[in-house]
Amino acid sequence: MYRVFLSWRFLRRRRTNLIGVFGIFLAVGALILILSIMTGFLEETRRSARGSLSDLILTLPPYKDARRPREPGPILEAIRADPRVEGASAHLGWMCILTRQDESSLRILIDSQSSEIAGIKLTGVDANDEKGSTEFLESLDRVGRNKDGEIEYDSTVGRPRASVVVGEKVMAYHRLRRGSFITLMTAVPDPGSDTGWSAKKREFVVAGTFRSGENEIDLERVYVDREQLARFLAGASEDDPVPSDAILFSEVLVKLKDYSGEAEAVREELGASLYKAGLIDESCSLRTWEEFRGTLLGAIENERVLMGIMLSLILVVAGFTIFAILSMMVTEKRRDIGILTALGATPNGVLALFLLIGFWDALIGAISGAVIGTWMAIKIDPFERWLSDTFGVQIFNRDVYLFDSIPSVVTPLAVGLIVLGAFVCTLVFAAIPAWRAAHLDPVEALRND
Amino acid sequence: MTSVPNVVLKARAIRKVFKTGDTELEILHGVDLDLVAGERLALMGPSGAGKSTLLHVLGLLERPTAGTVDIDGRDAWSLTTLERAALRNRHLGFVFQFYHLVAELDAVENVMLPAMIAQSSSEFRRSKAAHLKKARDLLASFGLSERMKHRPTQLSGGERQRVALARALFLDPPLLIADEPTGNLDRDTGEKVLELLFRAQAERSLSLLLVTHDERLAERCGRVLRMEAGRIAGAKAEPASLAR
Ligand SMILES: Nc1ncnc2c1ncn2[C@@H]1O[C@H](COP(=O)(O)OP(=O)(O)O)[C@@H](O)[C@H]1O
Ligand SMILES: [Mg+2]
Repeated sequence: MYRVFLSWRFLRRRRTNLIGVFGIFLAVGALILILSIMTGFLEETRRSARGSLSDLILTLPPYKDARRPREPGPILEAIRADPRVEGASAHLGWMCILTRQDESSLRILIDSQSSEIAGIKLTGVDANDEKGSTEFLESLDRVGRNKDGEIEYDSTVGRPRASVVVGEKVMAYHRLRRGSFITLMTAVPDPGSDTGWSAKKREFVVAGTFRSGENEIDLERVYVDREQLARFLAGASEDDPVPSDAILFSEVLVKLKDYSGEAEAVREELGASLYKAGLIDESCSLRTWEEFRGTLLGAIENERVLMGIMLSLILVVAGFTIFAILSMMVTEKRRDIGILTALGATPNGVLALFLLIGFWDALIGAISGAVIGTWMAIKIDPFERWLSDTFGVQIFNRDVYLFDSIPSVVTPLAVGLIVLGAFVCTLVFAAIPAWRAAHLDPVEALRND
Repeated sequence: MTSVPNVVLKARAIRKVFKTGDTELEILHGVDLDLVAGERLALMGPSGAGKSTLLHVLGLLERPTAGTVDIDGRDAWSLTTLERAALRNRHLGFVFQFYHLVAELDAVENVMLPAMIAQSSSEFRRSKAAHLKKARDLLASFGLSERMKHRPTQLSGGERQRVALARALFLDPPLLIADEPTGNLDRDTGEKVLELLFRAQAERSLSLLLVTHDERLAERCGRVLRMEAGRIAGAKAEPASLAR
């Protein structure tokens, strides 16, 4: 009886204990808040990491003597024949140099400070096919498209030119407008040339922008019609038919009906059947988007774990506060420990008494911390807005983070684990002074000093 | 063992050696002591003679280096820690020179402390009303009716010692151990506390083991033992008379 009663009484009558309770409250609250925001950020990042990627990605490095079909048609047909596939489209990717200036002067190539030039990933797509296989079309918010979904030529452009859709950040960075001209330069393999490569350069007209939410993509991705890209690389003009030896596609994106359920099975079976049909060879690979972005997702997961471990240190600090306070208290209460022993308390009883003080600390601190922390995590966005409005400082820059609101995801499991962690941590730290209290010599404390 | 039925405490050949670093200091050199039921025994002697040490050994707070202490017919120092704690709780009442009340508890709560230690939460809750009444009655009989809710810091030395006495008596132990209970009080206050102590002892026919420096006080005890340098000097071997 005295353990519960006295521990509670000691806790209430000693103000120093409030420091410990407050420490745990702060640690638990901050942990929940920070971890929720971290989880929110990571989930948001994960979502945007997926970005323009489809469920399955088949990469087919183009090389001269490949014995598979040159056209994407047969492969797309075979893939679409699978009932589990929602849609598929062919992409042709090529690294290019983008510059606004149409000058062949060496200056822009040697000026390391120049912002007039940038490396970009030029991606050839069939706009219509994209509907079923990626979220690409949805991201083309400001692009001019006709009713068939094809990218429209800008009427202000004199002669017909291939048009491109550039990432929002490309647009802003190079100060482009709809109808602006950009020059793309690149090199293609050319056995006839001394170096084995020959340079290509062409002007394109900007038809619009897209926004994926993923910085990397919005900063360096430029979309173009796939056949126009094939013509560009083959050196044919915009109106010519596509030359027969042109490289036509380098990857096929597949969207599934039920990604989370069937991705692995479809990947296995589709890969095998395509290979058997002679549509792909050993150089090709069929991967899920998660495998494709494996490093990034791994890094995200890693970051989450690392964050958790680092933040747990807060708990250790809070636990240490309890340790310090309880140690002080044991020293202060030596006489009381002696009295209790004289009145019939056992060492285990004394141990329990001081452990219980830690337990109350943890109980009050962790519960209130969990409640306030969770509430803050849920209300963080209006809270930040209120702070910003009240004090006129912007805490969360919505332009920098590409999110419209502070992402925050409260997971009950995390909250539970944090509360549990607070308890374990507190009790472990309380156990040391409690053990010391139980092993104090009662007589020493009772001697007349 | 041929234990005389009315002997409540029997100590034999108690030795206590303190080790401080490399030096060993023998404080008690084989002390024998019997305490009969209802007896009032005064232990006198100069400071440093080992009186407190002996009391701690007899009160089951400090393990002797050698020797036995029989309480309630059992060799207390060969019992388990738990059994020994129960003996302290039920059979022994302590009164110290410096009162030793728990600062966080009020007078009534301090008095009920032995019952709190003895009982589980549910047991205590069930008998709480009875405990409260008993504690209040005890305090009232010690003239503390107006001090029930006071905390130790709000009480005078004499009042504190009376609360401590009530606490020692709360579970009606057959044996009361008091180590210079008036040593920290002025003469008049000390007298009053002693009157209460003697009265309670007589009413309940407790065995009282009292350490004191006051000769007049010792005269009021049935038997006086003098302690010198860890030995009991001129001990009366014969059983003590119960007379005042
Ligand atoms: N824990 C200890 N370690 C060493 N010496 C001690 C210890 N406790 C008591 N003593 C010594 O034992 C002697 C007797 O002390 P005590 O029993 O308090 O005497 P008394 O109560 O008769 O004045 C003293 O000299 C004291 O210094
Ligand atoms: Mg002493």
